[in-house]
Amino acid sequence: MAPRSPLAPVLALSIACVACGGDGDGSKTSADAVVAAWKAAKLDVSALTEVDPKPYSATACRGGTVSGVDVVLCSYGSGEDAQAAEELGLAQIGGATGAALVRGTRLLVVADRRKVDPSGRTIDAITKAWKK
Amino acid sequence: MRTYLTALALVCALASVAIADGKHHRFVGIHPVPKGHGGGLCHIEAHHVHLYAPVDVKVQYRVHDGWHHFVGDPVAYGWEGPKHSYYGHHPIEIHAVVGDDHEDTAYCYLEGPHYHAWAPPPGVQLELRGGAYWYVGDFPEAYATGRATYDPIDVVYQPIRYQRPAVTVEVAPPNWYGVAVVAAPPPVVVRRPPPVRAGVEVVVPAPSVRVEIAVPTVSIGIGAGVVVQGGHRHKHKRKHKHHGRKRGHDRDDDDD
Repeated sequence: MAPRSPLAPVLALSIACVACGGDGDGSKTSADAVVAAWKAAKLDVSALTEVDPKPYSATACRGGTVSGVDVVLCSYGSGEDAQAAEELGLAQIGGATGAALVRGTRLLVVADRRKVDPSGRTIDAITKAWKK
Repeated sequence: MRTYLTALALVCALASVAIADGKHHRFVGIHPVPKGHGGGLCHIEAHHVHLYAPVDVKVQYRVHDGWHHFVGDPVAYGWEGPKHSYYGHHPIEIHAVVGDDHEDTAYCYLEGPHYHAWAPPPGVQLELRGGAYWYVGDFPEAYATGRATYDPIDVVYQPIRYQRPAVTVEVAPPNWYGVAVVAAPPPVVVRRPPPVRAGVEVVVPAPSVRVEIAVPTVSIGIGAGVVVQGGHRHKHKRKHKHHGRKRGHDRDDDDD
């Protein structure tokens, strides 16, 4: 077996940090991609600002509105963490129609708190664009 | 007054906690909205939650991993998206419809022509003929077991006026067996006779006045079917039954 480089663990950690996105530019880039998908679906997207990640047990969250429906996008260290936070996302919907969906290391929480989407068509478009 | 307001605030606080603690009802896929909440159809296909409960939950929904999945005819509730015609009972591969890998086969007990928003996934023995899918496979015991619970689903649709697929049983595949819905002859309407006048002063009502409202009747003939029970096949004897239908009217389906 070839001798392992002493820098190998550091290199692996660096690659993992880039892949998971963390709470810095990575999550912003992810959010930007989602925003682009929503805009491509002809949805009206507001600016997404930082949201307290604690209620979602996330590393970072950004929130805003999409065609009048509240959305929060959160990033996690792993897919398991994101999956585990799905119930927390549902709890944040409160007394509204909504959804909490996980994709990879990200969680999307949608809540129609202003009852602007009684037919669910907007939430359907939001979630479909998110899954793409 | 202050005590009353404090109590009211406490009740409101407890109610909001109850909502946050799981008073949501979970759905996956499109489904009818109770009339008390606006009626029509919810178009969200992903897993989602509402504060209202599913309507006619016993016959119109199956629970898939804890989420209610609507198995009825969405066109009856105003669905204008993609639709596919079916005739009679057939399996529903719920995992294929919702797009996950947790295998879950249910059965649709709607009689006659009806719609679903999804086409059958590959591998299911549904034959496309005359513009509709007909199930030509065997029904397992789970189908027979569920029949007592789910078969009354047709009662839900009887009062709803909507355009069903124009498919007749005459085009059924030879190896199809099931319930054929046949249109009945037009009903007889008896008009109310005028009151009988005896003399000038006295008005004597007619002794027997009977008014029948036009009621369409459906004749249902159950063909020979095969149900596998415990690994054996049982042939069903052919029989006919006639159902009187009430005149169509909007149903208040809000059971909240």
